[in-house]
Amino acid sequence: MIKIAVYGKGGIGKSTVTGNLAAAFASLGKRVIQIGCDPKADSTINLLGGEPVMPVMNYLREHDDEPESIEEISKEGYGGVLCIETGGPTPGLGCAGRGIITTFSLLEDLKLFEKYKPDVVLYDVLGDVVCGGFAAPIREGYASKVLIVTSGEKMALYAANNINSAVKNFADRSYAKVRGIVMNRRNVEDEEEKVRAFAESAGLDIVADIPRSDDIIRCEDKGMTVIEGEPDCQAAKCFLKLAQTLMQEDNDD
Amino acid sequence: MNAKVISIYAADTSGVCSALYELGGMTVVHDASGCNSTYATHDEPRWYDRKSMIYISALTEADAVMGNDSKFIRDVAKAAGELSPKFIAICGSPMPAMTGFDYSAAAEEIERETGLTTFFVDTNGTHSYLQGAEGAFLNIAKLFCREGKEKQANSVNIIGATPLDFSVNTSVSSIKKWLLDNGFSVQSCFAMDSSLDEISTAPQAAVSLVISSDGIAVAKYLFDTYGVPYVVGVPVGKSFSKKLSADLKRAVSEGVCINSCGEKAVENAHMIVAGESVFASSLGAELGAKTVATVGIRNSEVLSGTDIFCEEEAELEKLFSQHKTVIADPLFRPICKVASFVSLPHVAFSGRCFLKDIPDLIDKDVSKKLNL
Repeated sequence: MIKIAVYGKGGIGKSTVTGNLAAAFASLGKRVIQIGCDPKADSTINLLGGEPVMPVMNYLREHDDEPESIEEISKEGYGGVLCIETGGPTPGLGCAGRGIITTFSLLEDLKLFEKYKPDVVLYDVLGDVVCGGFAAPIREGYASKVLIVTSGEKMALYAANNINSAVKNFADRSYAKVRGIVMNRRNVEDEEEKVRAFAESAGLDIVADIPRSDDIIRCEDKGMTVIEGEPDCQAAKCFLKLAQTLMQEDNDD
Repeated sequence: MNAKVISIYAADTSGVCSALYELGGMTVVHDASGCNSTYATHDEPRWYDRKSMIYISALTEADAVMGNDSKFIRDVAKAAGELSPKFIAICGSPMPAMTGFDYSAAAEEIERETGLTTFFVDTNGTHSYLQGAEGAFLNIAKLFCREGKEKQANSVNIIGATPLDFSVNTSVSSIKKWLLDNGFSVQSCFAMDSSLDEISTAPQAAVSLVISSDGIAVAKYLFDTYGVPYVVGVPVGKSFSKKLSADLKRAVSEGVCINSCGEKAVENAHMIVAGESVFASSLGAELGAKTVATVGIRNSEVLSGTDIFCEEEAELEKLFSQHKTVIADPLFRPICKVASFVSLPHVAFSGRCFLKDIPDLIDKDVSKKLNL
């Protein structure tokens, strides 16, 4: 099973990358689950035609009880991708990190993987590895590889470096390892050089180079990924290539 | 359990400590200093008479906020180096649960550092003692039980013995005596008056006897892995213990698992028994009384079609009012306003408050013992 956690600075395009990657895997015939791990709960929206799924934390808040089936907290999107969002506590209260752990434990109780039998699981995680909760997706049994999304912007590279260091801190534990960088271009000056310099200093590969694309923006306005809305565009081809690379690596493992 | 007036059951952490108390391991609860008195004294009647290596990590606010996992790991490894336990078990409380402490990874690091078998039981202080004890028993079975050369004819594993359910009166020794009187021998007892070495031979038994909800998972594991069938029920009373003995013999000869306490149909009973699923269901079968399980397994693995599972105080109060006699722990008495109340203390519900009043009902005339 391919299990990937996607991290990166807030607003850098993690959900765009994750959603398109999920759609790419699905279009290649894979059974995919995407779990958004962000209180904003908007990770999967472009797989769902803009109609969001009920986040797990919202369900718990509204029902004051746990769901009894996966169907109550999931929705099938483009290509049959099963979409789940952890959501978060009431803004300004509670603990969002703990919300992720609670969601994961609930999904385990509901035997999500045993029942759905996915080929690919993607975790789209909020920003940095700020605490135990946000490290949960890279623990043993969850993701085995981490993709870090960054542009050439200084703060995005700073966050990417923090994420890489945080994952390295867990080298003694059976946690996920960083597989590489997804360069999500913002058309900043010398962008490629800056990202390549960081990748080299961190000893990481750039596994995908996603162009700045109006196609992505147009499709997202319609609640779609480019895999669904503009499958022949350059960005879609990049996501498909990344999915194929990861599938090949999984076969080699 | 949702309760305003009545007590609540001991938490999962107490279940872990109780299940592992006599096995020679070191149990460490990741919790603030001072909480050991809850797990190891209030919920543990053996504390004053019998030594056990149960410790608290003395987690501080700074440790929790800063994620000082390495301090916990270092302290546990150091203590284990001085104490040489047979294994290390770690479990937790609400505070590390909130910060997402990774017990699995910590156990792995401690095992690597000490060379001692280390496991964790997934607790957070908010589930019942049965979940903690079940996790502890299951880890012990998976890590220490080994298939022997041959099966021991008519030997029995008793699974689910903790003082939280059976106190420290003569109940567990009475179960052992009752087995011997009925032509069986005792292979192991999870986990009172039985060593880790004895427990490791559990796969050689002819059958397992599950006497509490926390024993079901281990019994299933021994059945699935080693083909040891199991029977569910506590040999309370003269009549039900006879049925249980016959069921054990049938399980041995036919290799089938039997839910003895769940094989009953009680309609229109004037009496109701409340408590842990296996015990209450067994006592209900003996007395022809309605069973309301208030903690434990809630399905047909233990309960019959006419038994009820209920953990809502208001519903329990209503249920009690529909019967002439209620048999339950004394801390249920405040919601028993109409029926006549028969006190049957349960350590997991009332701790050591009524310890001296807990009767041994094994293979005894229950009506006489309870003055019914």
